Amino acid sequence: MKSPFSAKDQPADTKAEDALAQEAEVELTRSEKLAKHSKKAAHHGAEGGKDLAGWVDTRTNSSGIFTAMMSRHVPKGTNWFYTLGSATMFIFAMQAITGVFLAMYYTPSATQAYASITHLTNEVFLGEFVRGLHKWGASLMIILIFLHMARTFFFGAYKYPRELNWVIGVVLLVLTMVMGLTGYLLPFDQRSFWATIVANNITASGPVVGPYLADFLRAGPDFSATTLSRFYALHMLVVPGLMAALIGAHLFLVVKLGTTAPPWVRMARPKHARPTETVAAGVATADVADVPVADERAEETEAPAEDESDSGEQASS
Amino acid sequence: MNNREKEDYLREYEQLKKKGKPFFPYAIMKDSVMFCVVAAVLIIMSLVLGAEQGPKADPTTTTYTPRPEWYFFFLFELLRVIKPPALTPIATVGIPTICMVLLLILPFIDRNAERIPWRRPIASFTAVLIIIAMAYLTYLGATGGSPTEIELETNPKYEQGKQIVAQSGCLACHAIGENGAEGGLGPELTEIGATLPRVAIRQSLIAGPGIMPSFEGLGEEDINAVADYLASLD
Ligand code: HEC
Ligand code: HEM
Repeated sequence: MKSPFSAKDQPADTKAEDALAQEAEVELTRSEKLAKHSKKAAHHGAEGGKDLAGWVDTRTNSSGIFTAMMSRHVPKGTNWFYTLGSATMFIFAMQAITGVFLAMYYTPSATQAYASITHLTNEVFLGEFVRGLHKWGASLMIILIFLHMARTFFFGAYKYPRELNWVIGVVLLVLTMVMGLTGYLLPFDQRSFWATIVANNITASGPVVGPYLADFLRAGPDFSATTLSRFYALHMLVVPGLMAALIGAHLFLVVKLGTTAPPWVRMARPKHARPTETVAAGVATADVADVPVADERAEETEAPAEDESDSGEQASS
Repeated sequence: MNNREKEDYLREYEQLKKKGKPFFPYAIMKDSVMFCVVAAVLIIMSLVLGAEQGPKADPTTTTYTPRPEWYFFFLFELLRVIKPPALTPIATVGIPTICMVLLLILPFIDRNAERIPWRRPIASFTAVLIIIAMAYLTYLGATGGSPTEIELETNPKYEQGKQIVAQSGCLACHAIGENGAEGGLGPELTEIGATLPRVAIRQSLIAGPGIMPSFEGLGEEDINAVADYLASLD
């Protein structure tokens, strides 16, 4: 099959331009960047705030960040498996949006919860549809997050330098399951009620913290009216808030470190000697000047930094 | 991974990245197609499967078997595999916690520089095994419904208690005669009357030992009927 993303579609001159622009960026030292920045600032100051986008931009460099994100390269061999993470994020966003609409009609009280869901399902315009989106979205999110995890596992993407991103991912996985557990009670029908009681008893059977955790979830030793509002607060405020923050951190690391290439896509090993300047972990080439390369490497090796790179040069020449 | 391997990786990665394509429009394009597929699947699921509402939660009856969402089936089934009540905490909390901790520290356990899945057979084999086990347990959970009928013959005067037991979801966790969960979460009750006096049975119903829910909500009369029935089984 012919890929719609093949390099042939890109006109040769844009490619050249891209390369030039990239090189130019690499060439810029920190002070040059600063100078450019202040020129820009002066320019926008003269406009006197007429240009709102420009005003924000000089203070945040948002367009610079945006361009950098968009024009950053994904490595050779990037394929459809790499869409699973953003698909998970898409579903999370869908859950947030449909959740807001559900929250407009839901009453988190043991006496009214069931009736508010009945009203939402049967009378509110598109009510059942939105409930369906949220309900099935939860299942899809679980499927997608597991597929995404399998992808990063089998591609060895959890290895250096992306260990931390894997750890954040596992926490996101647990939180996603917690969302499923806390959301299940909210419709307050027989099925959700009894399943939650059993889930809570299971929690209570855990060693040491188990009973306390169960008491906290139930808001007391028995299942009560407060249990429902507690689950609701966890489900719509605490856990999603945590998840949004962690997804932010996850994506920050993805942009900073770049996504892996599939492990079987390799470069031919260069014949010539290793370059003396090495790239520190996860630092885009343009920022190399900002990083105390020697310090970082000295920390990791017993031998002084110079010796290490020397021997490296010998070994590969 | 030693330092040398780390540097080699980063250098090769830089080159692979140079050979790659810009995020916009190439990766964005794939992501957007994927968004559309996911959105389409979701909309179709919502339209076709809808969002039905079960009967209202009622602490006084459990005509509904406690059943978690499908993605917790594998945890629920783990409980059935590990039977003795003394080991329940291990199944419910111990094994999942250990698995999660192992998953969390995986990058620090597996420090091998190799990334190609078929060149790291131990990691890949373990992962495939876990995936198969989880799929199998989920399948067990999906197919194992709970009956609402007890075929075991009883004295007609215990009929009322028998009906309540049959309809209160007890069979989701207990086996009685030919019915119910063989090797379920709870102990078999076929001959419970022989080992447990009526007061103790009654106490179990009210207290809800271990992970069993309390059935205090059934009310005095029904609890007594159930206790009478179970005590008659020997
Ligand atoms: C969620 C699963 C579950 C449900 C539903 C359930 N039980 Fe249990 N039951 C258990 C477990 C687990 C135990 C063992 C608890 C322990 O000793 O830790 C148990 C213990 C018992 C005991 C004490 C048995 C003994 O040997 O000590 C009796 C009696 C009993 N259940 C009766 C019932 C009846 C009657 C019902 C229905 C009204 C019922 N159970 C519903 C899980 C359940
Ligand atoms: C809410 C859940 C999650 C979201 C929204 C999310 C999102 C993303 C996105 C958009 C990427 C970019 C690359 C790609 O799409 O494959 C990514 C990469 C990554 N994710 Fe996730 N993720 C989530 C959960 C997880 C989980 C559960 C794990 C593993 C335990 C994980 C581990 C990783 C790793 C290691 C990378 C780097 C992959 C690489 O560089 O090739 N993530 N994530």
